[in-house]
Amino acid sequence: MLKMTHLQKVYRTHLIETHALRDFSIHVREGEFVAVTGPSGSGKTTFLNIAGLLEEFTGGEFRLDGVDVAGLDDNARSKLRNEKIGFIFQSFNLIPDLNLFDNVDVPLRYRGFAAADRKKRIEESLSRVGLASRMKHYPSELSGGQQQRVAIARALAGSPRLLMADEPTGNLDSLMARGVMELLEEVNRQGTTIIMVTHDPELAARAQRNVHVIDGQVTDFEEAPKLRDPGAPARGAEAVAANG
Amino acid sequence: MEIRPIFSALMRSKVSMVLIGLQVALTLAIVCNALFIISQRLEQMNRPSGMNEADTFTFGSTGFGQGFDAFATQAADLALLRQMPGVAAAAPTNSMPLSGGGWSTGVSLQPQQKTPTTSTTIYIVDSHAIDAFDTQLVAGRAFKPEEIERKDFGDRLQPRVVIVSKALGDALFPNGDALGKEVYLGEGPPTATIVGVVDRLQQPWTNSDTIENAMLVPAFMPYGTSTRYLVRTEPGRRDEVMKEVEVKLAEANTGRIIGRMRSMEETRRNAYSQDRAMAIILGVVIVALLGITALGIVGMASFWVAQRTRQIGTRRALGATKADILRYFQTENFIITTFGLVLGAILAYGFSLWLMDRYQSPRLPWHYVPIGFLCLWALGQLAVLGPALRASRVPPAVATRAV
Repeated sequence: MLKMTHLQKVYRTHLIETHALRDFSIHVREGEFVAVTGPSGSGKTTFLNIAGLLEEFTGGEFRLDGVDVAGLDDNARSKLRNEKIGFIFQSFNLIPDLNLFDNVDVPLRYRGFAAADRKKRIEESLSRVGLASRMKHYPSELSGGQQQRVAIARALAGSPRLLMADEPTGNLDSLMARGVMELLEEVNRQGTTIIMVTHDPELAARAQRNVHVIDGQVTDFEEAPKLRDPGAPARGAEAVAANG
Repeated sequence: MEIRPIFSALMRSKVSMVLIGLQVALTLAIVCNALFIISQRLEQMNRPSGMNEADTFTFGSTGFGQGFDAFATQAADLALLRQMPGVAAAAPTNSMPLSGGGWSTGVSLQPQQKTPTTSTTIYIVDSHAIDAFDTQLVAGRAFKPEEIERKDFGDRLQPRVVIVSKALGDALFPNGDALGKEVYLGEGPPTATIVGVVDRLQQPWTNSDTIENAMLVPAFMPYGTSTRYLVRTEPGRRDEVMKEVEVKLAEANTGRIIGRMRSMEETRRNAYSQDRAMAIILGVVIVALLGITALGIVGMASFWVAQRTRQIGTRRALGATKADILRYFQTENFIITTFGLVLGAILAYGFSLWLMDRYQSPRLPWHYVPIGFLCLWALGQLAVLGPALRASRVPPAVATRAV
């Protein structure tokens, strides 16, 4: 699903170079739930940005669902991002002036789906997170946990192959966090690959596999996936740290 | 197109939308009516007077001292003028188009008619007048020298023959057969026969309702000791001849004062100076209003871009291309501008009705508003382009930055 080999990310100013990622290699297979952990400033978010095609990298190779993304222009990256990836942000990033229906509709419109198809997908994904009855509500009328559920519905509405979650429970209390995690686990059980960036070891422990990042390098990884659900389809996992 | 969700979002922050919408509305209403007023003024200013303005000039002569003979001076002056090099024609006249001062009278078709058929200005001239005005005779003939009556100032004018402008002829005789017909001037009999029709000759007053009605009356009638002359020069020699005339006439008779030489071009400039000033002021108002409106849109859009940086980043993260973001802000501006323009169209016509009622101005032609619509749409799109381009350059990674 996602393969980075010897990836480099260097931020340059005219005075200094900052190596955010160095010789970073990882392979996430389809259907996995991978937690990327590490302290602040370790490069987790840079990894997430590059993996989510939000940022470009400066060296190495990156393939997303078989596509070499190195040579893609901005439009192609936007299209690939829209089609393949769903995002869940720590601050939910819902658009406050749009109701839930329209919030979930945002990526679908950019995808170019027909109105009827969009409506069906929005209703289905809001039902999936238990908020179908609140379609006409605005984000400010919801709790944090509910807002994150809407964000998950928005991420899922376009049926992405990969879900990128950036500290998805970072702004939630423990009860709401548990609910969101259960929802993500449910989504993963249904076949969606999830990469979750978190600094919370408890949350990371719930993922099938942990990748630990320090100073822009993968320092630790688990070879084999933990199987949460014996009935779930078999999933392969492989994390390679060239320097690990 | 994202019109519905953008409109819904705008409805959540109505104040900005209403403020900019109102600004656009007022701009449309004022700009349309101001442009119409300017066009009216320009139209007025560009009306031909019917005479040769490029090669003509006018001046007055006022005698002083006892025994000053206005008639003799006038005859001598005209004789001198007509033999001067560069002078194509010269004639005495009490007034001329655009001068702002002159005589007028009612004209009737019946004796003792209670209400005159129309009114006209009177130019008291001699047999050289048509040549001096350089107006085109379209029917009949010019005055004969023997038709020029000597009149003292204050005498009642009782011309036996007159020449009329075509507009006056048509006002009196709508069938267009004024030539040879008899009319009554002012207080009634005797009648004057129309012996000539000139294509056009305006009145001295630029705001007259009957500005095209003019009548040439044959008479030598100095205004007390004063006489006004109209001189037409050979093409291109006006300024040179003006100086020469001033010197020669002053030398010829030291018992009078020669007034300032005034070209007809200067007379026209003076006649329409207020209209020109009005057009300039309104033009400045239009430019200022459009500038303020454009800046308002730029300011609002810039504020919204800054306020929504994370939202833009999120949209980019969710798959929006740079073009999608650009289009979003342009569509948003289009909606706000359209809202303002619809309101502005109503205001524009309302303002026009108020001007019609209050100042008897003509109705705003319908096409001004749609043209204003297009211009303000274009202005709005142009104004929002800078902020929208800035928005489109917001990187998608902004979505993951900490608040």
